[in-house]
Amino acid sequence: MKMVSIEHVSFSFEDSGIEVMDDVSFYVNEGEFVSIIGPSGCGKSTLLRIIAGLIPPKKGSVHYSGKKVDGPSHGMGFVFQDFALMPWLTNLENIKVGLSLTDMGEDKKNEIAVGLLNKFGLGGLGKQYPNSLSGGMKQRVGIARAIAAAPDVLLMDEPFSALDELTAETLRSDIVFMLESKDISVKSVIMVTHNVEEAVELSDRVIVLSKKPSCVKRIEVIKHKRPRDRKAGWFGKVEDDIYADLTD
Amino acid sequence: MDLLALILQLVIDTSVSWLRMFIALFLSIIIGLAIGIYAATSESASKIIIPVVDVLQTLPILAFFPFVIFVVVSALPGSLGVNAAVIFLIITSMLWNIIFGVYEAVKTLPNEMLEIASLYRFSTLDRIRKIFIPASIPRVIEQSRLSWAIGLFYLVTSEIFSVGNTQYQVGYGIGVALVTLGSTNIYYYLVGVLVFLAFLIVTILFFFNPLEKRFKIGEPKDVDIIGYKRAASVVSMVRKVSYVDRATSLLVNSGATITKSSIKIAKRVRLPYATAKKKRKSGGIYRYAPYLVAAFACILLVYSVIEFNLAQYEGEVIMALFATLARVWAAYAVILLIAIPLCIYLIFVSRSKVRYTTTFMILASIPATILMPVIVIAFKGLPYGPNLVAFLIFFLSGIWYVIFGILSNASAISNILEVRDVYGVRGRKAWREFYIGAILPGLITGSITAVAAEWNASIVAEYFTSSGISGTGSSTVLTSVGVGMGKLLDLSLNANNVGLLMLAIVNMVAMIYLINFFVWKRLYRKVAAVYK
Repeated sequence: MKMVSIEHVSFSFEDSGIEVMDDVSFYVNEGEFVSIIGPSGCGKSTLLRIIAGLIPPKKGSVHYSGKKVDGPSHGMGFVFQDFALMPWLTNLENIKVGLSLTDMGEDKKNEIAVGLLNKFGLGGLGKQYPNSLSGGMKQRVGIARAIAAAPDVLLMDEPFSALDELTAETLRSDIVFMLESKDISVKSVIMVTHNVEEAVELSDRVIVLSKKPSCVKRIEVIKHKRPRDRKAGWFGKVEDDIYADLTD
Repeated sequence: MDLLALILQLVIDTSVSWLRMFIALFLSIIIGLAIGIYAATSESASKIIIPVVDVLQTLPILAFFPFVIFVVVSALPGSLGVNAAVIFLIITSMLWNIIFGVYEAVKTLPNEMLEIASLYRFSTLDRIRKIFIPASIPRVIEQSRLSWAIGLFYLVTSEIFSVGNTQYQVGYGIGVALVTLGSTNIYYYLVGVLVFLAFLIVTILFFFNPLEKRFKIGEPKDVDIIGYKRAASVVSMVRKVSYVDRATSLLVNSGATITKSSIKIAKRVRLPYATAKKKRKSGGIYRYAPYLVAAFACILLVYSVIEFNLAQYEGEVIMALFATLARVWAAYAVILLIAIPLCIYLIFVSRSKVRYTTTFMILASIPATILMPVIVIAFKGLPYGPNLVAFLIFFLSGIWYVIFGILSNASAISNILEVRDVYGVRGRKAWREFYIGAILPGLITGSITAVAAEWNASIVAEYFTSSGISGTGSSTVLTSVGVGMGKLLDLSLNANNVGLLMLAIVNMVAMIYLINFFVWKRLYRKVAAVYK
């Protein structure tokens, strides 16, 4: 079943008129992990914001579970590259921001937020401020905020690129575990990345975008079971194929 | 008087005033670069310079003007001395924020840049020329705008001040012209204000705007501090160095353009004084510097009371102090009620803060004191008229600092807006959880300067005569509050009561210092601890 479909989306910047995207189409099924990868400046992050309903496309449309997206909805959570936590709110309050669109009572919100803190191994840090956390912990709060309202779709904008490799690896495997074990509400993930290895490790399909004005250049389907071994023979081959597409 | 001749005369007057301003700005930038770089590169120097500058920038130095003019004129007689005194006074208003700008720009330089300098064995001169100065330039230019606005206030006020005393006349100057016209013909006065405004607008549009465009401090959308920090790869290191080189060569050829490295540095400076704060905290004995200063002020106070036999004045001084304090803080409360919603609207709702900056800068640069003649007429005969005049002048003197403080310090706006939209945070919740938090650091720094500006204005706002402030001879008193610090300073100067003048200044400094120390600094430390 199609969860999100992107149909003939084009985009250009208002002030400069520079065309960023030209007729981009693809879809994401329920239960799928899809990565978007492309050369820098190709508008990956912009595309993710269009899917989230933060920016309207110039042409084309985005549909989420059959309905046209015309603004953010709590069915889709968003994870930011630089965490985007409010430094003046406590970690607990930051997570509760994710529940703003719901009409739960304060007690219920607290209960959910505390539950998420514990799930992400941050129990006891709820009353502290984000500046006391490490990068990896901050992004855990960011992800907790994104899934607090129990969305079906998780949109992630280079979620691991501000973290060191070791921290990123741990967080990646935690997310894979949560998704595989159906521990969280999220059914489908769309992740923007510039890290080919990361895309191959996590994705069911990798959407490769071309240079600006970008269009879908290739869709790589990866059927291997997760967790995947980066040293396996097929892994390197898929990686090489994607690299070849990115660099020519 | 022929209108053309009047305009010509006003243009000459304003040109002379502007000349004073540019000399003062030029000197302030040179001194600011020297002191700022020295403080940022020498740990021990910063422990003394930063707290001292911190105190100086919040003191109403205008109140010291009589002393300054007396000292300078006795060394340099004639109009040269008076002009030197006026320029010196303007420098004391322009310098402090420039020093802080330079200090922060150098302090927040990426470490890799300094490492590169060590690797290639840059000499001290090379470091200054190729790294510290280019890195500071965008901040210096940004701060110059603010300095200009504060400087104009001091210029006009000190010029007005000089009118009352023939011995200390500056000769030509727009402040002088406006007071003279204001007390003779209100239409001529309005022509004077228009000429002043024309000069102001031309200066902003054709001097500050092009300058700032060249050294633009990035768009809010590419605020990317963390990403930048992490991208400390070899590639970016090489790039940074070449940017600095380019910046230097361009600077030397006086054709400087946007330098990416400088932009990034400038963007990282979000919380003024935060670095200074941290340093001072770990600074052993220097932690107690504020207490020492306070103790010294107390000793000076007791000494002057005894030495000049001023005990009978102390009650009067304290009354005046509290009367002005009440007016200053009442005006400040109204400023908050207007500035906070306005800024939040501009930053988060209309999102077009850039478009308003020029308008605001023009409005902000109109010294509230040149409006005295009209404001006095407007409130004539009203109950509490003099209090209302003082209140309005305080309000006009302070509000722009709060607005500029908030607009230039609001943190990572695009992020906040995206998070707000993704999670649909609306209405009161958005105000409480997002907007107020985002503007808080800027609000505090802006408030400190705003309150200081109000105190500065008090020497004009609370007591004003037709021939300026220290009216002599046939001048009439136009506005005079019952009790007030500004009035007390003016009157004690007129009466040549140096003892009372000194007592009043010491009391005022002590109070402002205590408020800074126990209210603003504490608040700031709390905010800085959470934000950084």
